[in-house]
Amino acid sequence: MDHNDAEPDLDALGHRVSVDRASTEARGETFYPGASKYLLAAFPPKERWDDWVELDSRAWPKRVEKHAMLVPTTCFNCESACGLLAYVDRDTLQVRKFEGNPEHPGSRGRNCAKGPATINQITDPDRILYPLRRAGARGEGKWERVSWDEALDAIGSRIRKAIIEDRQNEIMIHIGRPGEDGYTERVLASWGVDGHNSHTNVCSSAGRAGFQFWTGVDRPSPDHANAKVIYLISSHLETGHYFNPHAQRITEAREKGAKVIVLDTRLSNTATHADYWLATQPGSEAAVNLAIARHIIETRRYDAEFIRRWFNWEEYLAECRPDLPGTFEAFEEVLAHLYAEFTFEFAAAESGIDASVLAEVAEVVAGAGTRFSCHSWRSAAASNLGGWQVSRTVFFLAALLGAVATEGGTFPNAYNKFVPKPIHTPPQPGVWQELSWPLEFPLANNELSFLLPHFLADGRGRLDTYFTRVYNPVWTNPDGLSWMEALTDEDKVGCSVALTPIWSESAYFADYVLPMGHASERHDTHSYEQYDGQWIGFRQPVLRAARERLGETITDSRQVNPGEVWEENEFWIDLSWRIDPDGSLGIRKYHESKAHPGEKLSVDEYYGWMFEHSVPGLPARAAAEGLTPLAWMRRYGAFEITRGQGAVFDQPVPDEELLDVNIADHGRVYTAAPKPDSTNIVPMGAPAPDDAGRRAVGVLIDGVVHRGFPTPSGRLEFWSSTLARWGWPEHALPGYIRSHVHPSALAPDQMVLLSTFRLPTQIHTRSANSKWLDELAHTNPVWVHPSDAVRLGVDRTGDLVRVETEIGFFVAKAWITEGIRPGVVACSHHMGRWKLKGQSEGIGGMMATVDLERDSSGWSMHKRESVKPYQSADPDTARIWWSDTGVHQNLTFPVQPDPISGMHCWHQAVRVRPALAGDAQGDIAVDTVKAREVYQRWMAQTRPAGSVSPDGSRRPAWLLRPLKPAAAAFAIPDVGP
Amino acid sequence: MSLSAAVSRSDERVTDPGRWELFRAVGSVTMVAPPAGDRIAASLGLRPFSASEHTDLFVLSLPPYAGIHLGPEGKLGGEGADRVAGLWRALGLDPPSDADHLGSLLVLYAELGEAADHSKSDRSRQRLDHVRAALLWEHLWPWVPGYLDAAAEEEGAAESWVHLSRRVLRRETLLTPGASTLPLALRAAPKALAADIDYEDLLDTLTAPVRTGFVLTYRDLIVAARSLGLGLRRGERRFALKALLEQDPSATLTWLSNHARRWAARHRCRPTVLADPSPWWEERALHTSEVLKILARRAEEVMPT
Repeated sequence: MDHNDAEPDLDALGHRVSVDRASTEARGETFYPGASKYLLAAFPPKERWDDWVELDSRAWPKRVEKHAMLVPTTCFNCESACGLLAYVDRDTLQVRKFEGNPEHPGSRGRNCAKGPATINQITDPDRILYPLRRAGARGEGKWERVSWDEALDAIGSRIRKAIIEDRQNEIMIHIGRPGEDGYTERVLASWGVDGHNSHTNVCSSAGRAGFQFWTGVDRPSPDHANAKVIYLISSHLETGHYFNPHAQRITEAREKGAKVIVLDTRLSNTATHADYWLATQPGSEAAVNLAIARHIIETRRYDAEFIRRWFNWEEYLAECRPDLPGTFEAFEEVLAHLYAEFTFEFAAAESGIDASVLAEVAEVVAGAGTRFSCHSWRSAAASNLGGWQVSRTVFFLAALLGAVATEGGTFPNAYNKFVPKPIHTPPQPGVWQELSWPLEFPLANNELSFLLPHFLADGRGRLDTYFTRVYNPVWTNPDGLSWMEALTDEDKVGCSVALTPIWSESAYFADYVLPMGHASERHDTHSYEQYDGQWIGFRQPVLRAARERLGETITDSRQVNPGEVWEENEFWIDLSWRIDPDGSLGIRKYHESKAHPGEKLSVDEYYGWMFEHSVPGLPARAAAEGLTPLAWMRRYGAFEITRGQGAVFDQPVPDEELLDVNIADHGRVYTAAPKPDSTNIVPMGAPAPDDAGRRAVGVLIDGVVHRGFPTPSGRLEFWSSTLARWGWPEHALPGYIRSHVHPSALAPDQMVLLSTFRLPTQIHTRSANSKWLDELAHTNPVWVHPSDAVRLGVDRTGDLVRVETEIGFFVAKAWITEGIRPGVVACSHHMGRWKLKGQSEGIGGMMATVDLERDSSGWSMHKRESVKPYQSADPDTARIWWSDTGVHQNLTFPVQPDPISGMHCWHQAVRVRPALAGDAQGDIAVDTVKAREVYQRWMAQTRPAGSVSPDGSRRPAWLLRPLKPAAAAFAIPDVGP
Repeated sequence: MSLSAAVSRSDERVTDPGRWELFRAVGSVTMVAPPAGDRIAASLGLRPFSASEHTDLFVLSLPPYAGIHLGPEGKLGGEGADRVAGLWRALGLDPPSDADHLGSLLVLYAELGEAADHSKSDRSRQRLDHVRAALLWEHLWPWVPGYLDAAAEEEGAAESWVHLSRRVLRRETLLTPGASTLPLALRAAPKALAADIDYEDLLDTLTAPVRTGFVLTYRDLIVAARSLGLGLRRGERRFALKALLEQDPSATLTWLSNHARRWAARHRCRPTVLADPSPWWEERALHTSEVLKILARRAEEVMPT
């Protein structure tokens, strides 16, 4: 084509470039650097990750080169698991900084402030570097350094003794942030212990419950990037919570013209970017959702064909309206009547939002079609009696529109998450932990963790060995002083072990404090729903990977971590061997090498096996670059397995899975064919088999067996047979439950305190030793609307107010702002960290020193000393310019368990007044006797399994449970006469 | 022949993938500074740019944006850039912030070619080919030849890249069905320079290629200052040009008139293609040259030496 003999032929030249590009990319290197495939402006090309050169800015004007190895890991400062790249200095082999990992499919190289701040955590002068054992009384603050062997032997022998003596229920691990999906659960299962306890019932369990009752999966996966309308309920993942991967996709959608609707009493970050900010009365969100649903139904904008196929309307009519013909037309008529009461005027009266605004928003939602993405996670769902109906009614909107697992719609998270099957899978434990899963809450979505001190006080049991793992129950939970009372009582908690990178209010009351690594010092795998695809991310000790690149062999993360900081995976393997050194208890085999029987399982073998056998596509991808799957993950940190899962529920079931089929009422299909092996063990509901033991395989629709949903009916459960049959028939449909802080429940001088929102730059206890984050956010004033400020006599921002709850009060500064609805005050968590006088260790930038006293009227806390500059190995600690660290309001909240979801209902009915003479910022008073009374009052609302269980079991077996015991353990014990 | 084979055969269009890769690679050279871009240059057989050569050409002296060369203001953004962004939008793509950068346009050209090759229906293939042709004739060919002429005067590694780019583009004009009319940017171009223009407008006009028919780089102003014995002030081109005009308006305008004539000759020397914009550029440059001559004479009359 190009015939100039003196010059290379253009076709040949083009071919040469194509070949060069293909061979370069096959090696995992970048041919076209610069703007990446994710439109980042620039990032270090992969082929230069072994020796990335930057100029030392401090050496300017000299050009001094700094060489670094770039090693990927996964952020550990929230659960979204964004990719990080550690810049490991080649000269010092220390981490110099963290930036985003452009190879990560979820975060795409972008991070929030918490990611780069990991460098503060690993260099924190106050961090815990060595195993410590209590030397004085609990809480006295005296410690002695012990070896890991001493600690492991002592703890291991306690656990061994408890297991041998059938006291499995005296062992508990209380988790703050799960590091790896299911890892700790499997450790406990290998011990035969039902001891997993999570923080979820003070976090997201009510939000989860609403989704689970619909779909059998307890998290949504909104495809924000492709949505036409994005509908978010307060304190969803995308706002103060965190979730940069969602936030960046919402931004993309907005650039394409998507409308964002935010229901939030408070002007959140997301609300500031919303097209519609609805500052609803707290607890009214479900009423607003149902008014929108009514509009969609009334104007017949719903996707009738989707509803006909996928709602369990036939079951609903048969069970609840046997008087009507079992036709879809009859259901449509019922549907119109069911929600007739939820007019815009009704919702306006409940929410305080003008009916015309609600009508406008409803019209926007109705016009979204199948591109409607929605999310509800914490505040509204997590704060109100019946809050789980908030997420149930949010998903109702998506379901009405047919926007389920559509492009731009809302997916069950199980479609967009991959949990690789591990090398060992121990059986389910044969015991049931009553302290976490009491009979009063048969439908609880997660463990009743925040009630533990009260259950111990009830005499329901005791704990021999109690681990907290990246968790600070005294500070995080409501009624923290009851926690302190429990943790200091050795009759209730025999041995308390804190697995933590940093000091915390709970670690002070532990018997052992064992140092665990931060994001760049430990192994985990992660996968989260962030778009319609599945990926896994790898967290790793980056100095280990860096040294291995240099040819060293590392076998234990302590070899590269500071001091004697360890990681949990290696810790649990070692501890399990000490519990069962000779294998006679049947525990050791689950922590043993397959390649070298009789030897401990190494993390290399654990992850090497997982990546080789359980992650489709990864071995081939790695082989193309001449790497093992483990080496590939150590090099790149994340792998995308699939993209475009689509509507999995709609897929036909292959013929080979349909054997000796039983088609039950309403089309539920059961098969005798075994379940095909899957290497993805993502959690989802487990519908019961039929009477002949056939497994639920799908649902028959229009003559075709489709996969369906993991619910009892196989369909979307508009009507929940589970709620109906387990004592709550009045709430079996998506509905509205008036909150415990509904205006009708408040005294004239009471207001609602909204306490569940977060500051996006902080994350509970973990981030409190990140100096950059502390400088950005270090206090939590009480938000007060100007009209309330006038009424309450609060003159100006900064004035102290006293906020009185049912069991005490706290004193904080007021922030007068129109960013909060009148009649409501708000105060964020994360703040108010404290340490007792006499405890020298602490978190310098965030932890005030306090006096904590107890007398006949209860507990009182007074700040003795504010934070201030101090000298340390980090020169920045001498530059702390702030002294206000906020108030620990959670101490003053009684426990308020929702009787269905088990979620703590965070909102408080409070009285607010100007501070009294003698009040000081951060002061707290709590009466734990009153706290007990409130606990008992809320417990009286429950409907225990013993009275409502339809089948003699403690809990519907199909519902999710992080660690599910064997079937026999589900039976309600015969307590005798 | 089986049905699947027939379908398969009709689904494929045999185009050497190297044709598109060349566009991607040539375009990427403009966007990726050394040493990251060295691998691309080596693969293309180009002399590698030094970091300063690359910056001088693509950042300081001749930023390769359609907006600069086709926009009435001769600046980044504006109408010239919007017109290009419209093409991205028409494709259903979000225009990137540098949608009218030569590199972005060449990479887009490659993507369109590849997408058409992989298209499974004749209809979509024809659409993609149509869009690709529009990209070539409306958004590349109207200004890139002139840009490359200007770039060819830069020193160092630019020469081999310019030479290859000319070849690649030239071949593409032979392979791609041409348009029957001038591109919109030239049809809708602002009026040519008039002798009654005021001073400030004149300064704006002289740095806007579509208004003068020539490209005026800072390097050109250095040459002008040296040849006229005038002092050169550092700064943006308008500022430096103003300084030259204030020192010796007649000589400077005469130099500029000759500059326009040189550019007219360049435009005239390009090989002809259908609906060739070169004659339009030549005519505009010649016109500019004549007007500048008039202005030079007037200046001489006002300020006799």
